[in-house]
Amino acid sequence: MTRINHNQVLAVILGLFSIVYLWMAFQIPTFPIPRPVDSDAFPKALGSAILLLSIFLFFEKAGEKTIEVEDKGHVGFSFTSPRMQVVVTSVGVLAYAFLIEPLGFVLASSLLMFLLAIYYGYRAWLTNLATTLGIVLSLYFVMTRAVGVHLPPGILPF
Amino acid sequence: MFESFSSLMYGFSIALDPINLFYVFIGVFAGTIIGMLPGLGPISALALMIPITFSMDPSSGLILMAGVYYGAIFGGSTSSILLNAPGVAGTVATSFDGYPMARQGKAGKALAIAAYASFVGGTISVIGLMLIAPLLSKVAVSFGPPEYFALMILGLTAVVSLSDKSLVKGLIAAVFGMMVSIVGIDLQTGTERYTFNSLNMLDGIDFLVVALGVFALAEVFVMLLRGDDNKGEKRKAIGSLKLSGAEVKEIAGPVGRSSVLGFFIGVLPGAGATIGSFLGYSMEKRIAKDGDTFGKGNIKGVAAPEAANNAACGGSFVPLLTLGVPGSGTTAVLLGALLVMGVTPGPMMMETRPDVFWGVIASMYIGNVFLLALNLPFIPLIAKILDAPRPLLLAMILIFCMVGVYGMNFNIFDLVMLLVFGLIGLVMRLYGFPAAPMILGLILGALMEESMRRALQISGGDWSIFIDKPISLWLLVIALLSLTAPSLKKLYQKARTARA
Repeated sequence: MTRINHNQVLAVILGLFSIVYLWMAFQIPTFPIPRPVDSDAFPKALGSAILLLSIFLFFEKAGEKTIEVEDKGHVGFSFTSPRMQVVVTSVGVLAYAFLIEPLGFVLASSLLMFLLAIYYGYRAWLTNLATTLGIVLSLYFVMTRAVGVHLPPGILPF
Repeated sequence: MFESFSSLMYGFSIALDPINLFYVFIGVFAGTIIGMLPGLGPISALALMIPITFSMDPSSGLILMAGVYYGAIFGGSTSSILLNAPGVAGTVATSFDGYPMARQGKAGKALAIAAYASFVGGTISVIGLMLIAPLLSKVAVSFGPPEYFALMILGLTAVVSLSDKSLVKGLIAAVFGMMVSIVGIDLQTGTERYTFNSLNMLDGIDFLVVALGVFALAEVFVMLLRGDDNKGEKRKAIGSLKLSGAEVKEIAGPVGRSSVLGFFIGVLPGAGATIGSFLGYSMEKRIAKDGDTFGKGNIKGVAAPEAANNAACGGSFVPLLTLGVPGSGTTAVLLGALLVMGVTPGPMMMETRPDVFWGVIASMYIGNVFLLALNLPFIPLIAKILDAPRPLLLAMILIFCMVGVYGMNFNIFDLVMLLVFGLIGLVMRLYGFPAAPMILGLILGALMEESMRRALQISGGDWSIFIDKPISLWLLVIALLSLTAPSLKKLYQKARTARA
């Protein structure tokens, strides 16, 4: 039996996505005043296009993955493996999203940048701290004072 | 001609305003640094700078962005030459001879050639833009919704067909971009589409969230997965930046030819800096008597692609400013930035916003002067950014992405969406889906739908309106050809080999 390749897996996912998308397109209400093309026409066309393209993708020859994941030296579960770094970074972004308003831009950004740099393997703590504070504070003052973009001060007084 | 010249003088009066000069300088400088970072090209550079332009006057904002664009291309050349790690696809060809020159201890010379060639390429493209844009604007005034719809289809298909990856994947990316573009309230009927009853989705998904997600954040993820580290890289000294008279004479021809070629390639939808630089390089390799030394540190091999890619950047502004239709992912981000600033480019822009139109053209010229006068002497210093520890750089890029996205609407939902699109961008990179067609689809999707609906309203629902109009018909035929040409060529070659 032939093994399913990654293009075929993606094609199935896209096919299912297009069916849900099309189903939702059919739920778009009709505008009371009749018009040649209503709000649902374009989504229906796009959904159908993806469905058709996913069929083409299914039969397309799969190439190699375009990025080689650097997994050397990480046997079994490793908190610092490249894949784990993507997961931790994603969690960091999410945490940042929920902390930026209560903690403030300076504190949340400094914490994220400093901790992630350490996690990615940067050991010069003092340089890390100085760079982090330099960048975050410059960014904060440029955005709030020069550009006029209000960033949350949070628990800090400025 | 005289009219264009006096308009350009007006543009200079805007661009030479001290504050705008400052913005050009900041743009070129920041663009150079961002473009230098492997993986971060002009699209990321532009997207990262958009938040800075929020409160700016549109002409100043676009002047800054044009500087960033040029700077990013030049920055890409720097990392191509010094590290053999092109920051952008448009400077890959530069590395063929630039890196061997750097290994021979002639990095300074290669960088100087890149800067001079970029300057000439940029200058020629500005002259071309000045001459062609008004003519094209006059033609485009007669364009109606069917022509615009067809033009946008052509822009999309050209980008898809010219991307080096699979055609099907390119089309999927473009259609997906269009799907994202129609999320929110339909402005013509007030109907909600794909909002999942979320208030945050009513205004749709901002293009900056998507651009920063699929380009910058996804690039951070890719660098993490690759385990990129610059610890082991040792660069040779940059060396002298001076060129001899004989060397200047030697590169003069290639620079001139590649600049003109690059400009016209840039005007074409979908082509742009990458194809321009490769064509410039291969053209010079073929013409040169010492063509066999290309790839081994020939100075013409640096000059030609550099002149071509900068000229192509200028050329790509022609469809953006005159038709309001971007021909590449980068100009799509620029269009998005303009729309955010409340400026809609198109054939009427020269009349309605001459300050923006001519100000940008003049600032492109000034940007080139800045690149030459300021960046070149400081390049040994700027190049130190390549030695910055990768963990710090990655964490910094993350912060820049997030402040850009948050600063737009002050909404944490946007940050969550940034992550979602960052992960989508990562999957796209992992499985060979090009990101540029997605951004183009995102920017053009809503405009395409509007043109399509307007055209059908005019025709009373008759779809033949798209083929009844000759310009629209031709544009659609070219679009279809651009998609089918590669497959037809393959079939033809197969048939020929079978016959032989």
